[in-house]
Amino acid sequence: MEKRILGMKFKSIIRSTSVLIVSSILLTPRAFSQAEQKEMGDIKKDVLKVYIEGERFGINFPEKEITFINCVKDRSEAQVYVLITSQKTTEEDNYTLSFSGQKDHEGNSHVLKYTSKKTDSEETVKAELVRILKMGLMRYVARTPVAGRIRIGLRDKVKPTDVVDKWNFWVFSLSADSFFQGEQTYSSQEIFGSFTANRVTPNWKIRTSLSMMYYKSTFSYEGSEIVSTSDSQRFQGLVVKSIDDHWSVGAYFSAYSSKYENIRTSFSPSPAIEYDIFPYSQSTKRQLRFLYRLGFSLVRYREETIYNRTHENLWREALEVTLELKQKWGTVNTSLEGSHYFHDSSKNRLELSGEISIRLFQGLSFNIHGSGSKIHDQLSLPKEGASLEEVLLQRRELATTYNYFFSVGLSYTFGSIRSNVVNPRFGTGGSSISMRMGM
Amino acid sequence: MIKKLRTAVFFALLGVVFLGGRSLSAQTEKADVEALKKTAPKVFIDCGLCDIDYIRTEIIFVNYVRDRKEAQIHILITTLRTGGGGREYTLSFIGQNEFAGIDDVQKYYSNKTDTEDEVRQGLVTTLKMGLMAYVAKTPIASLISIDYAEEEKAKAVVDKWKSWVFSLSGHGYFSGEKSYHSESLYGSYSANRVTPDIKIGLSVSSGYERNHYTYEDQTIDSRSNKMSFNGLVVKSLNDHWSVGAFLSLESSTFRNIEFSLNPAPAIEYDLFPYSQSTRRQLRFLYKMGFKSVHYKEETIFDKKSENLWRESLSVTLEVKEKWGAVSTSLEGSHYFHDFSKYNLSLFNVISLQLFKGINIFAFGGGSRIHDQLFLAKGEASLEEVLLRRKQLATTFNYFFSVGLSYTFGSIYTNVVNPRFGSTGGGGFEISIGD
Repeated sequence: MEKRILGMKFKSIIRSTSVLIVSSILLTPRAFSQAEQKEMGDIKKDVLKVYIEGERFGINFPEKEITFINCVKDRSEAQVYVLITSQKTTEEDNYTLSFSGQKDHEGNSHVLKYTSKKTDSEETVKAELVRILKMGLMRYVARTPVAGRIRIGLRDKVKPTDVVDKWNFWVFSLSADSFFQGEQTYSSQEIFGSFTANRVTPNWKIRTSLSMMYYKSTFSYEGSEIVSTSDSQRFQGLVVKSIDDHWSVGAYFSAYSSKYENIRTSFSPSPAIEYDIFPYSQSTKRQLRFLYRLGFSLVRYREETIYNRTHENLWREALEVTLELKQKWGTVNTSLEGSHYFHDSSKNRLELSGEISIRLFQGLSFNIHGSGSKIHDQLSLPKEGASLEEVLLQRRELATTYNYFFSVGLSYTFGSIRSNVVNPRFGTGGSSISMRMGM
Repeated sequence: MIKKLRTAVFFALLGVVFLGGRSLSAQTEKADVEALKKTAPKVFIDCGLCDIDYIRTEIIFVNYVRDRKEAQIHILITTLRTGGGGREYTLSFIGQNEFAGIDDVQKYYSNKTDTEDEVRQGLVTTLKMGLMAYVAKTPIASLISIDYAEEEKAKAVVDKWKSWVFSLSGHGYFSGEKSYHSESLYGSYSANRVTPDIKIGLSVSSGYERNHYTYEDQTIDSRSNKMSFNGLVVKSLNDHWSVGAFLSLESSTFRNIEFSLNPAPAIEYDLFPYSQSTRRQLRFLYKMGFKSVHYKEETIFDKKSENLWRESLSVTLEVKEKWGAVSTSLEGSHYFHDFSKYNLSLFNVISLQLFKGINIFAFGGGSRIHDQLFLAKGEASLEEVLLRRKQLATTFNYFFSVGLSYTFGSIYTNVVNPRFGSTGGGGFEISIGD
């Protein structure tokens, strides 16, 4: 039964987007853990109880400095016992802070060290010891209900490139992947290979990839065999230079060949410029980017096109507006792109795509994703039509003036939605594998 | 420590010279931060579901590396579904190299209705707290600030629903162009109750799919629909044993089933305690089932309806360690009225990161099938075959995928550069979720 779902899903998805999803696979059970169901009632009661033995350093009751713990006077009452000791040499003092978990933190122990110079003032030493104490207590505090209110930060800005890197941020990757499936009357093979070389720093972004893809499906029907294949090869390059926190310039380059699109070879370099209304530094939270591209392509077709061409040179411009938001209330990713060829402005395309996922109110979530295009630029369509199996299996690009897909989902959940209990018995109803090959 | 600092400063200066373009007259304070950052812990985050860019921009007091062997801290993040429909994130901090032997485990719980932003914030807070014990051992500790945000008290939560969670969801998918369009609709209602002692899962779902093609002036219309009810009740006996029962009702055009009713009591044994199941499990599940079924069309065995008894045994192994993950499941079943009507299936996923830079991924499955009692007598049409609208007679099926990648070059992945979009040039991606 599982296999059936599998087969069906595979097929229906390969067909259109080459995304495969295997669901309800016996991948099974995940697991467990008896989450302590802590009552969020009295917060102070849930604060970590700590006993600190550090009188000599004046920090056995640092409640003023460390507000998220409760310093107790009796060692046996504590959940964490901290022993601070020191060893003095002529040049420096070496402090050792031993943290021992007790009660529900039993067995969770660790040791931290701190070294001060003889020239450091008493206040400096105390402040540093308190800092180390706080850091050492974090792993215990993380298990208490007040964990969500802790704010940890670095008091200074630091560049992500402050590392010692002999490769100067270049990363190279070689990969090969394959997927095979079959039964008595059906089999399919997919093979994918790629090489990528990337360098990403705040000032430059360089991405290059060379990839190859091959598909083949075989069906037996009434004693005859139907074989359908598709392949493509592609080189893609992108170089972007950062100008300031809002502007970037760069260029795309692509060279490819595709049976689906009737293209034997295509070369197209396109310089581009981008403006983000929000600073790029906020990009994980919000972006509103305008990207303009001017492209030239040199195309050779596999078969003569409906416009009687076997090859041509084309100029094209494109403008893309992208909005991405990830906020407390939900996520929005949308993009609108318009483009046209210069030799004939009626050869144009307008494409809108996006996904929105919003929590309308507690328990009710809404999501939609999809795309729609007005298409008037299918210059590569071959004169000769496609066969029935090419149509059904979507192996060829077909003449159209539009296409769309969208998916809408609404889900309402109520009841004990804050329950953190995990029960892995008899599995958790299966998990899914999704596989995506694209170029 | 002083010595360490000196080395760090030396490297910092070296770095300044190497990277060029940066003014040598930079303030000494700035140079200090840069020097400290170079000695910050090297972290490898092993998590398929996390927003890695967000983590990199929010937690700047560590260095991120792309290979686990390079890391001083390997953070393995595994998730499980909670009774409330959210996720339990288990963050296993594994100390390596200089931090060998310093391990920790932290948990973070998300709710079903949390948005992506809330989940990533919560996860980052937990990650930061878990990292403190390691960061405290490196010089960058001197720049860490830890504060406590006073807020009004959270209200006490009394669970009047007694752990029951109800969920109603609907989904539609539509696509089309001039010569092709398709629609599919899916709806479900579920009620679940999960406590450590008992697990109850009930769901009703219904699906409809239609594809419409235009080809040389003729139109081809293809539809399929299915409806099902699934129920499961499991009682925990101890940390290794559980008993329970499955109940399913089904109707499906794909499988030629007008209506079927199938109750099946079952028993399960886990060789490892269930309490370790986020990292390892080896479960044996035995089911004894009865099935009463009515077919849509007469089957190849000349039946319109029948009552069947069946037993099945499945063995599932799941291991997730820092070197990778293995998940294997073998299931065998047969009918009692005719032992030659049996099914044997194997499913396997392996992902390994054994050597520096090399990732190996394989998944696959296969079945010996001798129990297609429901096959209809008539022949399927060409479109039904190509679109796989009807299950066809077969004695086997298989699928497998193998992937290998080798990555070399810079080990650091600290940088997030969103310019010109962050999507790569396509490629091959596999993700496993639940």
